[in-house]
Amino acid sequence: MKTNLAVFFGCRSVEHEVSIISAVQAMHQINRDKYNIIPVYVKKSGELVTGKVLFDMDRYRDLPSLLKETRPLSIFRRGDQVILSIEKSGLFAKPEEIPLDIAFPIVHGTNCEDGTIQGYLSFLGVPYIGCNVAASAVGMDKAVFKAVMRQAGLPVLDCVTFRSRAYFADKAAICHRLESEIGFPLIIKPVNLGSSVGISKVHTAAELDDAISLACSFSETILAERAVEQIREINCAVLGDADRCEASVLEEPFMQDEILSYENKYLSSSSKSKGMASLGRKIPAELPDDKTAEIQSLACAAFQAMGANGVARIDFILDKATGQVYLNEINTIPGSLAFYLWEASGLSYPALIDRLVELAFRRQRVRETLLFAIDTNLLSGATGFGAKGTKGAKGGSTRT
Amino acid sequence: MDWMLFAAGFFAVLGALCALVRHVQILQQSSYYPSRYSGWLRTAFGANAVFSLFVMAILIALLFLSPLACLIAAAISLPFRLIRAVKLQKSAIKKLVVTARVKRLFLAVAIFLAIFLALAAWLDSKILYAVLYAVCFAQPLLTLCGWGLTLPIEKAIARHYKNDAKQILREHKDLTVIGVTGSYGKTSTKFILARLLEEGFNVVATPESFNTPMGVVRTVREKLRPQTQIFICEMGAKNVGDIREICEIADPSIGIITSVGPQHLETFGSIEQVAKTKFELADWVLGKNGSAFVNGDNEIIRQRTMAPGFQRYGTDATFPYYAANIRYHAGGSAFDLILDGERVPVETKLLGMHNVLNITAAAAVAHTLGIEADAIRYAVSQLTATPHRLELKRFLAGSTLIDDAYNANPEGCLEAVRVLGAFDGMKKVIVTPGLVELGEKEYEANYALGLAAAKVCDTIILVGQKRSVPLADAIKTTPFPAEALHIVDRFADAMEVLTELADLKTVILFENDLPDNYAG
Repeated sequence: MKTNLAVFFGCRSVEHEVSIISAVQAMHQINRDKYNIIPVYVKKSGELVTGKVLFDMDRYRDLPSLLKETRPLSIFRRGDQVILSIEKSGLFAKPEEIPLDIAFPIVHGTNCEDGTIQGYLSFLGVPYIGCNVAASAVGMDKAVFKAVMRQAGLPVLDCVTFRSRAYFADKAAICHRLESEIGFPLIIKPVNLGSSVGISKVHTAAELDDAISLACSFSETILAERAVEQIREINCAVLGDADRCEASVLEEPFMQDEILSYENKYLSSSSKSKGMASLGRKIPAELPDDKTAEIQSLACAAFQAMGANGVARIDFILDKATGQVYLNEINTIPGSLAFYLWEASGLSYPALIDRLVELAFRRQRVRETLLFAIDTNLLSGATGFGAKGTKGAKGGSTRT
Repeated sequence: MDWMLFAAGFFAVLGALCALVRHVQILQQSSYYPSRYSGWLRTAFGANAVFSLFVMAILIALLFLSPLACLIAAAISLPFRLIRAVKLQKSAIKKLVVTARVKRLFLAVAIFLAIFLALAAWLDSKILYAVLYAVCFAQPLLTLCGWGLTLPIEKAIARHYKNDAKQILREHKDLTVIGVTGSYGKTSTKFILARLLEEGFNVVATPESFNTPMGVVRTVREKLRPQTQIFICEMGAKNVGDIREICEIADPSIGIITSVGPQHLETFGSIEQVAKTKFELADWVLGKNGSAFVNGDNEIIRQRTMAPGFQRYGTDATFPYYAANIRYHAGGSAFDLILDGERVPVETKLLGMHNVLNITAAAAVAHTLGIEADAIRYAVSQLTATPHRLELKRFLAGSTLIDDAYNANPEGCLEAVRVLGAFDGMKKVIVTPGLVELGEKEYEANYALGLAAAKVCDTIILVGQKRSVPLADAIKTTPFPAEALHIVDRFADAMEVLTELADLKTVILFENDLPDNYAG
């Protein structure tokens, strides 16, 4: 008997393809003696499909032919089990039912990584790998992330946020505000995307409009922050939960453009379709020991402050001029699960996945020991609902 | 062939199946033990049976007089039997659960009656018809006949499930199986152990108080998953060999024996036999080089566990695992666990010496399996009491309530009073109607409770003038001040007294058989 593990990937997100790369890579690393892997591909339309063909990276080049070999799937709860029900063709064929033990969302971006899929899985009551709804949502919104970090006393760059509608209503006012409160050069970002999509560096007021317009096509809320001139980007992965976690070695991605853009991150690298793992980078980052230790402890503090779970990659900005370190953003489901950082830290990819599964079951156990519902039906003894509403009942009628 | 007689027989058969529902319900609730079912029969045999015999006699008489009248009578009886069956099910507190076994039993009876009917019709024998009618009004006979006919099938199915469960367990290489047995305390210990082990493992335990071989088999087949790391198996026994039978299925490598006491003496015969049966668990785990954790505070267990290999726990500092420095306060109990030399101070909402021992047993096993001291301390602090079993609550005017309303066991009541007595510096009050349904021991038990209460309490409130006589008798033999003894008629009156005296420094014990919803 093996643990049934469903890998969710794809989704209606601009990072659909990145998710496929991360997921297929992971599925080839999961220990098949222990786990029965069920790939659950979420099409751009939102439909769920499964099939053996989804393990094969090369088949994704021709999506229509790949989809022909998949079958639609639905998920529901029955008793204390969550069932994956796979449709079968044929007039009287019954769907194939698989009890789901654990879900592994390897999705990136809005509509999935932002707490959406976590909410779906929590609602079903199935254990799943990674952050819960709240931490996922915090991680996805750069403005909220900064607010939470600031509240926890952790260093972040000051920023200004505004709504895209407000910008188009009065461009001059927003430009003036950005100039006076931040000044140039500055960075414009949509609040809700990873993988550097829609991010630009703005040197003069003239460039501002283009940058904001681009960002507005991805999000309704825009974030502007000071651009650190002499910048080094340093990333650190964290593994664990809010009670206990550990930091990986650090990496320093090579900056080809001024900002690590989406193309740079995933498309322009010489070896195609290998994801974050093949990006140009230095591991471990060349930093003095005390700086490394500082960044690692900041990474753990940030991870715990937002109540993260599983593996996350936290990106830092290091101001070469001042030596000051800032938390930039968190990836609650990092590309390639940041396995390359864990391998460099002495933890193999399959072992990393075992740890993630363990963490997910641990969280589920804690969830189940907490009191969520009172077993007795409070309505069973109630009478006289109606005209007076339920306020009285709410007030404390249990004392009889 | 006489069609009228055949039709009459057909109606009688249908009616018989309707009336069977009630009997199968009882058989099911007797766990399919014919002896327990016939126990019910003896109590229920009355007016209904006489009426059934009367109808049966009329039908048989009509059979020989007029087939048409017989048909009409049989047809009329059918809706009555149907309505009665439905009514009985509707009013039953625990209704018949239509399981596969129940379906098989009904099918067997239906086939049996159908063959009978076919035979009577084929031979056109009025005698056979008469016997058929007789059978159709003899539900106990039909019930036992269905039970007997399906018994070989049921046994084969049970054997199949058992083998299936065994195979699931044998294929599960990394699973640790823990058996928990004892005359009392095994269910609580199981739940506490599960909570402690959940700090580090995926745990499955037999639910509620499932503790029979088939209960274990069901849990294994329905609940065990590949990621399960620990299976905790409660083992109950009524006869010698019962524990061994469960061990053969579950194959535990760790065992806990919580107690040996005079439970189920009627089937065991002697306390020696009880001890022997409980120790079948120890024999099993020691036989495969596992560990047997035993309650060394229990006199019978202490004598039997001098041999090496046993891990004793209790309150004795010579044991490898023991509890010391036990205190009770308004928030619960606090004590130090000494786990193989490591001192772990813990606090819990649970009260009572038995719970201290249950926690010590669970902590001993958790410690052995590598749960860290901090995690044990946290899990112990999170344990919750079973409702109305020494359950601590806030009460009137900030006072503390020990709700032990579901306790009906004399030894347990005395322990509750001891717990009350341990609340140093608090005003101690007991509210109780005394114990009932203890037969000849009742007066003696209540007298003992009265003496114990008089020793520790500042105020005693007895509910029920008549019921509480033995308690009052006992209290009056002590120097307990008469003005602090209140004897009231109803619980509401007791509440009035409590409203007068309750304050922050008061602790109140509700002992046995008080209304369910007094303390929202």
